[in-house]
Amino acid sequence: MIGNPILLLLVLGPMAAGVLSYLIGRRNKALRDYFAIAVTSAEAVIMLLLLLTGGEVSLSLPGVCGMGLSFQLDGFRGIFATVTAYMWMMTTIFSREYLAHSRNRNRYYLFLLMTFGATMGVFLSDDLFTTFVFFELMSMASYVTVIHDEKPQTLYAGGVYLAVAVIGGLVALMGIFMLYSVTGTLQLSQLLEACEAAFPGNEAWFYVLGGCILFGFGAKAGMYPLHVWLPMAHPVAPAPASALLSGIITKSGIFGVLVLCTRIFAENAYWGFVILLLGVVTMLLGGILAIFSLDLKRTLACSSMSQLGFIFVGMGMIDLLGEENALAVRGTLLHMFNHSNLKLVLFMAAGVVVMNLHKLDLNDIRGFGRKKPLLCYVFLMGSLGIGGIPLFNGYISKTLIHESIVEYIELLEEGHSVASFAAASNATLFHVIEWLFIITGAMTVAYMTKLFVVLFVEKNRDPAVQASFEAKTHYCNRATAAVLAVSATVLPILGVLPYLTLNKIADLGQGFLNGVSPEHAVNYFSLTNLKGGLYSIVIGAAIYLLVIRLGMRVKQPDRTYVYVNRWPKHLDLLELVYRPLVLGLLPTVAGFLCRCLDYVLDGLVLLGRKTTHRQLREGRLLPKGFEGAYLLGSFCDGVVALLNATFCKRNPIQADFVRFFADQSRIYDETKREVMSGVSFSLMMFGVGIMVVVIYLLVV
Amino acid sequence: MIALLIPVLMPIAVGVLLMVFPPRRKVMLAIVFAALALSLGLAVAVALQPEDTLRLTLGTVAEGLTFYFQVDAVGKLFSVLVAFVWLLAGLAAFEYMSHEHDEPRFYGFYLIVGGVLAALCYAGNLFTFYVFFELMTLTSAPLVMHELTHEAIMAGLKYLFYSVGGAFLSLFGLFLFTAQGTELTFTAGGVLDGATASGVTLLAVFLMILGFGTKAGMFPMHGWLPTAHPVAPAPASAVLSGVITKAGVLGILRTVYYIAGPELIRGTWVQYLWIVLTLITVFMGSMLAYRENVLKKRLAYSTVSQVSYVLFGLSLLQPVAFVGALLHVVFHSLVKNGLFLSAGAIICKTGKTRVDELKGIGKEMPVVLWCFTLAGVTLVGIPPTSAFVSKWYLATGALATGIPVVSWLGPVVLLVSALLTAGYLLTVSIAGFLPGSDYDYAALEKHEPTWQMLVPIVALTALAVLLGVWPGGLTALLTGVASSVL
Repeated sequence: MIGNPILLLLVLGPMAAGVLSYLIGRRNKALRDYFAIAVTSAEAVIMLLLLLTGGEVSLSLPGVCGMGLSFQLDGFRGIFATVTAYMWMMTTIFSREYLAHSRNRNRYYLFLLMTFGATMGVFLSDDLFTTFVFFELMSMASYVTVIHDEKPQTLYAGGVYLAVAVIGGLVALMGIFMLYSVTGTLQLSQLLEACEAAFPGNEAWFYVLGGCILFGFGAKAGMYPLHVWLPMAHPVAPAPASALLSGIITKSGIFGVLVLCTRIFAENAYWGFVILLLGVVTMLLGGILAIFSLDLKRTLACSSMSQLGFIFVGMGMIDLLGEENALAVRGTLLHMFNHSNLKLVLFMAAGVVVMNLHKLDLNDIRGFGRKKPLLCYVFLMGSLGIGGIPLFNGYISKTLIHESIVEYIELLEEGHSVASFAAASNATLFHVIEWLFIITGAMTVAYMTKLFVVLFVEKNRDPAVQASFEAKTHYCNRATAAVLAVSATVLPILGVLPYLTLNKIADLGQGFLNGVSPEHAVNYFSLTNLKGGLYSIVIGAAIYLLVIRLGMRVKQPDRTYVYVNRWPKHLDLLELVYRPLVLGLLPTVAGFLCRCLDYVLDGLVLLGRKTTHRQLREGRLLPKGFEGAYLLGSFCDGVVALLNATFCKRNPIQADFVRFFADQSRIYDETKREVMSGVSFSLMMFGVGIMVVVIYLLVV
Repeated sequence: MIALLIPVLMPIAVGVLLMVFPPRRKVMLAIVFAALALSLGLAVAVALQPEDTLRLTLGTVAEGLTFYFQVDAVGKLFSVLVAFVWLLAGLAAFEYMSHEHDEPRFYGFYLIVGGVLAALCYAGNLFTFYVFFELMTLTSAPLVMHELTHEAIMAGLKYLFYSVGGAFLSLFGLFLFTAQGTELTFTAGGVLDGATASGVTLLAVFLMILGFGTKAGMFPMHGWLPTAHPVAPAPASAVLSGVITKAGVLGILRTVYYIAGPELIRGTWVQYLWIVLTLITVFMGSMLAYRENVLKKRLAYSTVSQVSYVLFGLSLLQPVAFVGALLHVVFHSLVKNGLFLSAGAIICKTGKTRVDELKGIGKEMPVVLWCFTLAGVTLVGIPPTSAFVSKWYLATGALATGIPVVSWLGPVVLLVSALLTAGYLLTVSIAGFLPGSDYDYAALEKHEPTWQMLVPIVALTALAVLLGVWPGGLTALLTGVASSVL
């Protein structure tokens, strides 16, 4: 062990604590809950202290797991490890009330803390091997927290989550194998140089390995077309787990993609362009799905997908902009950071609703938030933040990513040869992307407005239900209320004081992305930048009014409105393509081929036994003798079998010609033998002989 | 050093005595346990001796055919592994076999096979190896046929048919090389002269690979595995799958690296055909396991696939892949024994043999299914468990060979197979642990087996997982072997 063991404590501590909490939980459930809270809080405090005192800490454990593990705490990794610990602290506190009446809580805490340690491992890792080890552990452990309630749809969604995680993990592993074979190192600090040296001459190899690694980490980051698990797993998971899944576990996928974008394909415009396009599709699709969703947590999940799409756009711009990528780097980093905080708030707020109602359908929960100022405040902060409204944190990071696109367009129009191929130097295309970016931002505004209006403005269709909602003044305990209030208040503070908070975070973290501070500081509240935010709000309002108000609300006979699902039922990538392909077609075809191979030798043996090494059927010893009789009998049996199978199905012919002919042959043989061995036969033959001789003599 | 015969003859003698004079059950179990523990102790004691003292010539049968033992690093590793697994599976058998008839016969042959396997590991030339290889087949057949039902006897006959047929293929090589006047002592790097290798020599080597590959379940001679495993008692299937298949691996290892020499077949059709066969087996085994519903048969197909991971690593003739292959020998032994013993515990305690009956089994026997799950996760190769390490070595080794197509296709096949492994093992665990929210907890009965079964299962699983975290010593040992033969 070389380095500071504190990092090992940060990673393995929670895992050990998970096992300990399981043991404690078998004796005392309350103590277990407090123990888990204490562990996560302690970790958050340690991380915060480490981050504030600065300084880089590293640790390497040679030989462990074959290749050796190495950890490193620097600015970027410090930020996200701190965010991880902070989120875990908040959600663990929330879990106590959320799961108060649920079964199997020991298991939940065990795997919650295992996932915690593994996620810390991902963010503190210093080589891709370590990243991968903890990434897989995280996938496996988080599965158990997702399927906590074991309902059928939960298990189904969990199965999809696990399948995507396992497939993604293995594909990524292939990429890592290939990377290791060509560069000989997986250390993040050496990868940049190693890849620059190895890239020329190995382009195809590099793009394939990049694709593999992108597949694995992108799947976790909700990238289209591997996003299918995301809208399914979030709604069914317990709210604290959804918050973690969306807030930080998806970011561990982004971490891997960032390594690709800033180390392996640093400043590679082709790569950046592909990531950019994937990001555009992901963010648009996420936004559209969120608008059409009628499920509170599913809307938030689709929103996560859309926000992750923004992050992918940022990462694409990092590579496209090459050396001038300061804005893209800072925007990507800050949007990761902001989205974690936002989704923590929003999913916990949604969790409060679920905890009270055990329902997620917007028509059922409508009006729940009325006369609940705390919940309203919390949800409003989250909504404004994620909607990119100025003075909230989401605005800052979206502005930065938007500015990076604008910067690229300006570079193109000024004629700088930033792009090396035609598609990437098409300014019109990037204008379109810029507008798609703004429109997706507008969609965010629209679907968050939808949720906010449903929860806090509209009344339930059933006045009795509405009355019961409003009578419920005690909807969460003090600890939960405090957690909600604190995490929600962070958001506007970040947004109002970006120069003191977010800029500092960006300064701290950009080194990992090979970023530099921009030449001139960005004025977030300048008119041009505010204009982008304003466009989003205006278009968002239009989308809300036109699509959601007019399109999705249907008037009922009793003059109330219900929200209806307008999304085509069968338009589902998972059910339409992946399931039939992965569970149906491929295993069937491959299984058939393998079954054939399996039978090759057994079949040969069987063939031999049926033909050359024929064994006599049990209990029906056939007489030896005239082979012609056997052949004839077999032939007749065959004909009979054929007739029985075709013409004589009703009254099958019951006959055994082999035996029949064999018997006949035997009778014939015996008779022949008896006849031929007799003296009379000899005499007769002697007589015949004499007669022949006499006739011959007479004739001659 | 005549003492080398003690670990061989002691268990055989005890086994024969047990069958001839069967004592009371308790006494018998005590004797069996003592013999197994002593075997492990002896194997460790032999492994701690310096290699050059471990030589023993027993006499000549005919011109050029000598009984000769010598123990090198590979022999030490295999013998300790065999004795260790033998002890644990034997311990688990105490509970499993208590419901079966003819226990003395089972333990008798169990001990005899243990002794024969020790001799197999210590064999110093091809002739000795071949004799004990056949002896292993013959003495292990009663374990397969133990239940003496029609099905069991037919399965046993199939096992004999395949094994003897396979051994005849390897006999061809023995005849040919002896006729050529070559001294067939196992020597690192091979004894055959690569320069004068003719087509017939290559053919003989290939037939030997195919022949020993029968025991290792390599396509196309794998057919006995899925037939023999489900009918044998669980401890017998555990060692059959975890250890006896490895005897086939040892046979191939000795043939290729200690008789023929890797340079003889490098780049020839033998190597390429061998690689193709192993890759087909890897994929076919997993695919069929994925589509199999009988738990033990599923595990048997899984063995077909996993042992060919090892053979794939050996077929590459590359040091890193070689280390990966031998690591996988150890890890797969531990994992597969753990899995089979867990399956045995389930069968023995609940009578359920099919996968679709196992819903909620994790609530009935949590410790067993926890071990099954961890062993399953290990076999899939989820880090930081052990099979991940061996697969890492195998795949990076394959990529380093630079053989066209195979260098990347091999890892792809390994990973696809890992995916299928997840499909056929983790689904069992998921159904077992997560019976759904409508599961009737009130009617839950615990079926956890006694410590005799739990201790081996937990020990095997724990080792399988922990060796993945600290594989350092094992890797160093195997790297040394790899550099001596390659």
